[in-house]
Amino acid sequence: MTEARVLYVGHLPDQEVSNHGPLWFGQVLLCCIEGMMLCMLIAIYFYLRLGVDVWPPPGTQLPSTPVPTLALIPLLLSIVPTYIASAGAKRNSRVLMLAGLAGNLLFAAVFLGFRYLEWRSFNFTWQTDAHGTIVWSILFLHTFDLVADLVMTFVLLVIIAIGRYGPKQRTGVHVDSVVWYFLVAIWLPLYAVIYWGPHVVGAGR
Amino acid sequence: MNSSKTQFAELQQTDELEQTWKEPKGFLGSLAVVGHKEIGKRYIVTAFIFLLLGGLEALLMRLQLAFPENTFLDPGRYNQIFTTHGTTMMFLFAVPVMEGMGIYLVPLMVGTRNVAFPRLNAFGYWMYLAGGLFLYAGTFFHALPDAGWFAYPPLSGPQFSPGKGVDVWAQMITFTEVSALCVAVELIVTILRMRAPGMTLNRIPMFCWSMLVQSFMIIFAMPAVMIASSVMLLNDRTIGTHFVNPAEGGDPLLYQHIFWFFGHPEVYIIFLPALGMVSSMIETFSRRHLFGYPALVLALVANGFLAFGLWVHHMFATGLPQVGEAYFTAASMMIAITSGVQIFCWLATLCTGRLRTTTALHFVFGFIFIFVLGGLTGVMVASIPFDLQAHDTYFVVAHFHYVLIGGALFPLFGGFHYWFPKFTGRLMDERLGKCSFWILFVGFNLTFFPMHFLGLGGMPRRVYTYSAGMGWELPNLLATVGALTIAVGGIVFIANVMRSRRHGEIADPNPWEGASLEWEAASPPKSYNFPRLPAVDNLWPAWDDISKRTVIEGLSDDRREILITSLNAAEPHHRHTLPKPSIWPFVTTLGLGIGLTGSVIAFSWYYVAAALGAIGFIGWFWPRRPLEFTS
Amino acid sequence: MRRCTLPFLFFLANIAFGQQSALDPAGPQAGRIRSLESLLFGISVVIFVGVIGTLAVALFRRRRGIQQEPLESTHRPSAQTERKLLVVVSSLSAVSLLILFALIVVSVVTGREISIKSLPRDSLVVEVTGNQWWWSVRYLDDNTQRIIVTANEIHIPTGRPVVIKGTSHDVIHSFWVPNLHGKRDLIPSRVNTEWIQADRPGRFRGQCAEFCGLQHAHMAFWVIAEPPAQFEAWRRQQLQPAAEPSDPVRLRGQQVFLNNACVLCHTIQGTTAAGQNGPDLTHFGSRQTIAAGTLPNTIGNLGGWITDPQTVKPGNHMPQVPLAPGDEQPLLAYLEGLK
Repeated sequence: MTEARVLYVGHLPDQEVSNHGPLWFGQVLLCCIEGMMLCMLIAIYFYLRLGVDVWPPPGTQLPSTPVPTLALIPLLLSIVPTYIASAGAKRNSRVLMLAGLAGNLLFAAVFLGFRYLEWRSFNFTWQTDAHGTIVWSILFLHTFDLVADLVMTFVLLVIIAIGRYGPKQRTGVHVDSVVWYFLVAIWLPLYAVIYWGPHVVGAGR
Repeated sequence: MNSSKTQFAELQQTDELEQTWKEPKGFLGSLAVVGHKEIGKRYIVTAFIFLLLGGLEALLMRLQLAFPENTFLDPGRYNQIFTTHGTTMMFLFAVPVMEGMGIYLVPLMVGTRNVAFPRLNAFGYWMYLAGGLFLYAGTFFHALPDAGWFAYPPLSGPQFSPGKGVDVWAQMITFTEVSALCVAVELIVTILRMRAPGMTLNRIPMFCWSMLVQSFMIIFAMPAVMIASSVMLLNDRTIGTHFVNPAEGGDPLLYQHIFWFFGHPEVYIIFLPALGMVSSMIETFSRRHLFGYPALVLALVANGFLAFGLWVHHMFATGLPQVGEAYFTAASMMIAITSGVQIFCWLATLCTGRLRTTTALHFVFGFIFIFVLGGLTGVMVASIPFDLQAHDTYFVVAHFHYVLIGGALFPLFGGFHYWFPKFTGRLMDERLGKCSFWILFVGFNLTFFPMHFLGLGGMPRRVYTYSAGMGWELPNLLATVGALTIAVGGIVFIANVMRSRRHGEIADPNPWEGASLEWEAASPPKSYNFPRLPAVDNLWPAWDDISKRTVIEGLSDDRREILITSLNAAEPHHRHTLPKPSIWPFVTTLGLGIGLTGSVIAFSWYYVAAALGAIGFIGWFWPRRPLEFTS
Repeated sequence: MRRCTLPFLFFLANIAFGQQSALDPAGPQAGRIRSLESLLFGISVVIFVGVIGTLAVALFRRRRGIQQEPLESTHRPSAQTERKLLVVVSSLSAVSLLILFALIVVSVVTGREISIKSLPRDSLVVEVTGNQWWWSVRYLDDNTQRIIVTANEIHIPTGRPVVIKGTSHDVIHSFWVPNLHGKRDLIPSRVNTEWIQADRPGRFRGQCAEFCGLQHAHMAFWVIAEPPAQFEAWRRQQLQPAAEPSDPVRLRGQQVFLNNACVLCHTIQGTTAAGQNGPDLTHFGSRQTIAAGTLPNTIGNLGGWITDPQTVKPGNHMPQVPLAPGDEQPLLAYLEGLK
């Protein structure tokens, strides 16, 4: 083989921790899938709302707004440690990754605590009526996603802590941050729909 | 040019590649396979087995309907059979078989060595297999669904469908959709980031374009059916939610909206890959460049978008507001344009090419004949007033079998003959092939053409029998004879496959003189696909002088390293190492399978699914040595 | 298609003039849809012949060895050929776009014409409720005394529009009389409205068109279009309570009916039977079929149906009511006497 017909790629970096890796793409696509599911639920929310005159149906106490609004603070703050973790992954800094992942878990735990409180204050369940059904479905799906991601974050934390990591795991940390940004971002419209929706579109049509 | 010394070096290198890329053997090894060719073949073989089952169910139905007031099947059994037939064909055959073709062919066509996420690929297959087994296991537990493949509530609700059949159906969807989503994700990333250097967006083979568009459609359509089946329907049945219960503010029509938001794109998800296959075959067998490549690509993309705008097409008889109706008529008809443009381009190619009338091209001609008819009846049912008569009658049965069998199955059979030498290294027998084509073609038209008239003559769908004296006897009998004819054609096809894979003519790498990269790999391809990954500079690399091919140097042979290229221009970006075989996708499926099976009985099994699934995924992602790669 | 022409012509005639056929319209809506269908069909035939003709040309050129451009080296025909193709393909695409646009307009206009908004005044209002697996029919009237309740048979006067208000009692059904109009779904908790009209007297069969469970196949009904005078006579007769049995056999039959489980589901006006789960039987004897169009209404069929409903229509909701020996004949005589 002559030199002219060879494309040499040995000098290219291997295993980049960046937004160019296949894993990052794959994760973004998974977020699209999950986002699509949550969007369908929002659509269902409004479809059901248009089907009745009073929303939520009489007897259902409006979901209270202060606790979930307060809960936004730790959730939004959790982006900072997440960002730190992903920056640490790119720079291969173990300290930053550890701090970031731990911070992410901590803020998320506070947020979940708030969420538990707000759930306890609901006077309806998914069996009460269509409103209860859709609100609980949205909350359940989003919480499930949160917990799943937090389990993964915890596993990454352990992996980094015991030092058993290479570029693949650092890519994992970076990609984990993408999921977290997504889960935080998608919560904002969901929050608006669940807690402010009834105030805005609640009364008769 | 090639001295014996370099030849020796090459041999050594392919040896090393073989060591790196070979798949594990033995029973446990077969559970850990992650190679795209092996998994693609598994998808295809499994899907064909389900095709056989679905076909048998169709035959049973045709036997029951051969005569009026026939008592061959009782109504309960008949309802189970038509539900399982539809479900099998849509979820367990049509989508998976297209995925299988994509998984096998896409990495070869874009010139790489595996899909982007090999373990996810294996996981997808196991989930698909689990879903199929799950549904058919219902046979042994009196839990076959009987509310139709669409499972409209309230009929599918707890009150009117007691028993576990509908729950099994709903959760089977979860399995197969997870599988389809996995494949979609990995094919998108494979096509966007793992193409051979130089394969810019306008040099992607048509089949890969079709898989790309199809995969994006899956990403946006499949979540809807998971919401419809496993969130709305299943929860209404098991934990008393009220999505579709009108007494508590729910709405049965809501389910139909969500279901068809998936269900309409689903049709295109099935037949877009088939259109890609047709483009590939027409190009090869006309021996000329495909006419109108940009138009064909744009038509595919437009198809993908439009498909999401016309789900109400299936709900014209439900009494929706008129303004919406006008829009949906327009949208439904517009999608005919994108198909029309493709047909015109193919005809132009065929008319100016030098045809080689192989079996595969026979199937392409059969496809055009049948699909055009199906498309025309599609335009007819897009018109609301006409649809009010045709909807839910045998006219629609005829229409969508023309579109799906003509539009997807015929190209698939053609593609199967076309790529068979690539799969097995042997050619299929042409005489038997043409014979099976003619039997299938005649049988198909004999079965389904009379159904147009049956529908307009008043025969509704999904009836287990009908009264004598309505003028429906003869067409029904003809259809049954046709169905038996199709069965004969299927047997000839299977015989051909069985015979050819052992005794067929040995094929060289490019037996048809095809243009795309898969024809540069050996037949069947080595585990590593290409000894040296190729770079390309046009859309028809295999039509160039292969000895002048630019190849890639600098990738490690001792680990599964591939090249990531940039999204538009396909310039080399970085190297990437793909994982080795792993048992964890199988273990994860096992865990999720146990939990999801249990969820049919009680919601709490979801937590089991989550816990076992989490264990599986942690095992999957747990770091393996070596952790660092140094080059 | 050519292969199958003969048998098609044979059964086409059979289907086209059926009692349940969209190809044999008997009212304005079905007629308009039939015209639209002819248009669509004509256009489809032209396009199909064009495409298949082109395919044939592609094959024909090869067979006859008509001069072809050498493709081996370039795999590309001459630039001139390509330009010609471009012109042809783009004009064909443009033409199809125009055809489709025209079809959309025609379709929307037809849709307007057959919609409920086009309803002429002076219409009869009939409420149809789908049940698994029969149809309950109520003729609405401002005067509640003049409301008629019947089942599985709808009498309409010719030349007068009839509004159908459809809903369902259980699952989704679909109301469809192909000779008169397209179908409309009957959905629980919703009311869907459409109008039909028969231009000529006749018996038109309708059938449920949305899969509704075990006996979806046996959920038919008849629309009987009669001249207005005849319809009025029918209506007057239906407004009467059930005929009192005059002879002892029928009187005994009435007792059998009232003393058995029949009354739990069926109503007979003028007696104590007031069940709501099954069809109203007040004028049962005047109907032409039993079990929602499954069998002709003869005394023999009725006997078979009552003694073993699950064989005639497996899975239906009518239980087998055990009758004392000798009770059956009087019961049949009584029911058939309810004209």
